[in-house]
Amino acid sequence: MRRSILTGIVLVTGPLVLLDLMIVNPSVHGAAGAVNELLVLLAAAAAVGGGATLVAHHVRNLAAADGDSAASIVVLLGMAVILVAGLRPGSSGSSDPAVLWLVAGLLAPIAASVFALLFIFLLAAFRRGFALRVRETSLMAAAAAVVIVLLLPVGGQAGDWLAAGAAWVRDVPLGGAFRGLLIGIGILVAVSAARSLMGLDADDE
Amino acid sequence: MTNSVAPTLVSEASLARLRRAAPALLLLLALALASLLSGSTGGLRLASPDRSHVDQLRRVIGELPSGSLVLIAFDADLGTYAEIRATTRAAIDDLAAHGVRLAIVSFTPEGRAIAAAERDRIIRAGSADPPADLGFVAGSEAGLVRSIESIVPSGAAGETFDAVRQRGGGIGAFDMVLVVSGSDISARSWVEQVGTRLPGLSLVAIAPTFLDPELEPYLRSGQLTALLSTLREGVAYAQAVSAGSASGPGPTVGPLPMLIGMLAALAVLAEAGFRRLGRRGRRPARRRARP
Repeated sequence: MRRSILTGIVLVTGPLVLLDLMIVNPSVHGAAGAVNELLVLLAAAAAVGGGATLVAHHVRNLAAADGDSAASIVVLLGMAVILVAGLRPGSSGSSDPAVLWLVAGLLAPIAASVFALLFIFLLAAFRRGFALRVRETSLMAAAAAVVIVLLLPVGGQAGDWLAAGAAWVRDVPLGGAFRGLLIGIGILVAVSAARSLMGLDADDE
Repeated sequence: MTNSVAPTLVSEASLARLRRAAPALLLLLALALASLLSGSTGGLRLASPDRSHVDQLRRVIGELPSGSLVLIAFDADLGTYAEIRATTRAAIDDLAAHGVRLAIVSFTPEGRAIAAAERDRIIRAGSADPPADLGFVAGSEAGLVRSIESIVPSGAAGETFDAVRQRGGGIGAFDMVLVVSGSDISARSWVEQVGTRLPGLSLVAIAPTFLDPELEPYLRSGQLTALLSTLREGVAYAQAVSAGSASGPGPTVGPLPMLIGMLAALAVLAEAGFRRLGRRGRRPARRRARP
């Protein structure tokens, strides 16, 4: 039953959106627009659901004195402050000056500081990696070292050669492998979409 | 007789902790010093020697008539924005210097956070005409598709908002879109969702390096009009913009801190690798020594 409902939804919405892309027709365009509105609502509901689950998880942590209580309190307080700033009477939501201040003055610098530490942590992880998995870590470290050398900010003719080498690595081996993966993913998505549209799954084989 | 130990100012544990943290602290100190000294860096060059992508973006912006409407789609993420921050700021300055009317929108919460911070910075810098704030549009790619029809918030008032409304009120009202890309919504989403529906719209992008292999084919096919997707291209672009500007270059990444960071990374990799090799070399000797 659940499978037939899902297949039905895919059978109606998939061709509708494809038709809207291929032909100019106000009725089809309106129907595809309505499907898109439903998708927006679905995404909003998922976001609210995710937030509620996070709150529930940290409240449970606090109630059971399980895990890092201080971190749970910080998360809940942070969420409360943003919600109050954005939802209080007279607030203009995400464009409210209080929300903008919290985001620009607190959230962005704190997150930037945390990500700035990644450099140190990554190097520490490499050191530990050598102790745990020598072969894989050696391969990664060798590739990283080659790329770092190619990207060294050196001037003059040597700098030009290094930059040309870095561009070649980016465009040929890295670009080729990455695009191969993307093409593979694209084919898989197309095949699975076609199977869904035709109502096929593994049980039918 | 009591066996008392003389009290020490620093315990053994504290010393051990300090010794462990010393390399990281020294590196941070060296980076801070290098940032201060980055004005005099003879022999070092961070800007890309290949200027083709830079010239392409400068040409596209230069061809915009004064008063054009340009949308900045700010969907960078906090993890990679540091790489494209200077480029993005230079592009906003470049666009403003060409007399275009800017509007800013985000389709991801992280992008909205960064956009709010950047807009706040522009206002604090005393800009007479900061980008019009179109806010955050929910729904990720579905929200992006919806914005093709309507992107202006209902209560928004101002000259730029009115100009967008007069031209239809959607993304098609803009002459160009500058996509500041991140991992969730990148220029690829714009090409797929907006480029197919508005083929005449000029899309240019600034992206962190990890997105380059994904976006480069769109540039070659013409679906992206211009793309800056490496730090070195960004630095070259920022230098090109500042060379034609009276206001100065603004904060850009210096080559000396970058070099120190890279050399430190190489040293750590080499030290860890050689230490491991040394241990491997010693192991058979120990086995042989056993009776």
